Amino acid sequence: MTTRPAALSRENLSDAISQLAAGGALIVVFIYLSLASDRFLTGDNLFNVGQQTAVTAIIAIGMTLVIITAGIDLSVGAVAALSGVVGVKLMIELGLPPNLAIVVGVLAGALAGLVNGLLVTLAGLAPFIATLGMMSVARGLTLIVTGAAAVFGAPADFRLLGQGEIGPVPIPVIALVVVAIVGHLVLTRTRLGRYSYAIGSNPEAARLSGIPVKRYLTAVYVIAGALAGFGGMMAASRVNSGQPNFGIGLELDVIAAAVIGGASLFGGRGTVVGTLIGGFLIALIRNGSVLLNVNTFYQSVIIGVIIWLAVIFDQYRRRRLGGAGE
Amino acid sequence: MKARSIVWRPLAVAALLSLAVAGCGEVKDSGGGGGGGAEKQSGPLRLAVVPKAVGFDFWNQVKTGAECAASKQKDVEVRWDGVTAETDVTGQVNLLQNFITQGVDGLVYAATDAKVLSDVSKQALQQDIPVVNIDSGTDPQPKEIPVFATDNVASAEKVAGLLSDKLGKAGGDIAFIPFQRGTTTNEQRAEGFKRGLKEHPELKLVAEQASQSDYDKALQVTEDILTANPNLKGIFAANEPGVLGAAEAVRQAKKSGKITIVGWDASPDEVKGVRDGVIDALIVQNPFRMGFDGVNAITKQLREGTKPASGDTGVTIVTKSNLDDPEVKAVLKPSCDDPPS
Repeated sequence: MTTRPAALSRENLSDAISQLAAGGALIVVFIYLSLASDRFLTGDNLFNVGQQTAVTAIIAIGMTLVIITAGIDLSVGAVAALSGVVGVKLMIELGLPPNLAIVVGVLAGALAGLVNGLLVTLAGLAPFIATLGMMSVARGLTLIVTGAAAVFGAPADFRLLGQGEIGPVPIPVIALVVVAIVGHLVLTRTRLGRYSYAIGSNPEAARLSGIPVKRYLTAVYVIAGALAGFGGMMAASRVNSGQPNFGIGLELDVIAAAVIGGASLFGGRGTVVGTLIGGFLIALIRNGSVLLNVNTFYQSVIIGVIIWLAVIFDQYRRRRLGGAGE
Repeated sequence: MKARSIVWRPLAVAALLSLAVAGCGEVKDSGGGGGGGAEKQSGPLRLAVVPKAVGFDFWNQVKTGAECAASKQKDVEVRWDGVTAETDVTGQVNLLQNFITQGVDGLVYAATDAKVLSDVSKQALQQDIPVVNIDSGTDPQPKEIPVFATDNVASAEKVAGLLSDKLGKAGGDIAFIPFQRGTTTNEQRAEGFKRGLKEHPELKLVAEQASQSDYDKALQVTEDILTANPNLKGIFAANEPGVLGAAEAVRQAKKSGKITIVGWDASPDEVKGVRDGVIDALIVQNPFRMGFDGVNAITKQLREGTKPASGDTGVTIVTKSNLDDPEVKAVLKPSCDDPPS
């Protein structure tokens, strides 16, 4: 037990360095865009960026939790789409009030997450496989529910979640801040957070030390699913309709945000702050590319290169810091 | 009587089938490989109709048209299936190959990628399965395969004129939201639009960002385009998700009516946008006709052995003033009782 604070502080240091690097990149891109486009550094644009990042970043916070346990959730994009169309359909067909529909959307996502979690813990499937299956199942259900056609006609007050503002601040940005704070507290202050790191670092040791691994692991997937459901409702609200094709490829942006922010796919490492930085870095590159009228294809190349750099840096850092102590 | 017909019907079908199979064999032996159509089929027909993607109003109208044509023919069954994203070219290749392997009688499809899908068309022809393209053909287009589609280049050329009518001599900055770079339809619309712009030097193209055929993405790029170009006067979005995203961004920026939007296609929300005055004009294709003509052509080819010719399915320009005209309504809400011409 006496070595633990030291180990923790070394990890904290390592996380800090990783965030510093990603944060540095974020600042460089920010300064560059401020100089290159006179429209970039305006309140409207920055709020726009915040709004555009919110869905991805909220889902990425759930993904961070999963990645910390050495898992992955490939189903988040499809689950978000499913929640979106289910929520919108309920409002139109059963006259459900928007707030309730949002709750149902979140629960639908949580249910998908529960299935993921049980497949991983009880059926013993690798997370990659369990969630790959869910990605396909959820997308299929989305198409079945909608008959493969977009669902239009949601009530006007559903727009609030994705398009509303409190003062000058868009509601999606506020929601992101709230989710981020709660996520950060969960990771740093609660048993769920501590156990997640423990499970990701060494599941066998976690089990032997008496952590109910299966229960906590399932909870992690439920949270990721619920956040995907919430993100899906927010995206649906942005376009005030249920789009069956929403979120194709979204899981990649979400995983990229977490990884750029220092989450390790080997587990045991990742922070909410890092993931936010990663999410905003991706969003800034997208936003900047449009402001500067750069061909969309370059965005993909730039983001891919950043992912490489982040992981190379991460491994280099792990070898130096990790090898020294143990 | 009854018992006998139960026994005899399968036998008769089997006999017909064996004849048909023998027929195929003969065609192949004589080195024809003419891509079907040589022998006539009078039995039931199973046709695969494959859109670029499922999930958009446009393709659902193609489906309605295809099913309408099938319902008016005897014993024609339409099997409708598609990938979920127009960008999923390999997915569509696999789907079509599965239909070919299953041995459908005919293939009616819209190519997600002109070059890649031309091989699949050839493959079908080699197996004596006739093919008809709708909406988007292939490159090269085998001479045996007709295309029922919009003349995209000519139709997109009109867009610059529509923008210019609205913006007048002063013109101004305009943006272009294509959907998927590299797809034939997209490039044709871009080509037509830019050709039209040359005749209107007062219109200055200041931004061009693809929507990837994704409503949310279209919304985001348009938001950013509006930020970058505060003096923007007009937008041309080249398909349904792009138009919806652009209109939503303009609406959210509280610039409805201040920015002229010319769009393409006519999903219910796009039509509503025209009615509300957010969208000024829509170039409306006739997807019902594509499905309808495609299925009719391939059925005729299979049944009568005729060689079908390609057809232009035409466009209608829909604005607030003609929205309720009967001809426009027939195109916007096609029904099988009164198919649009």
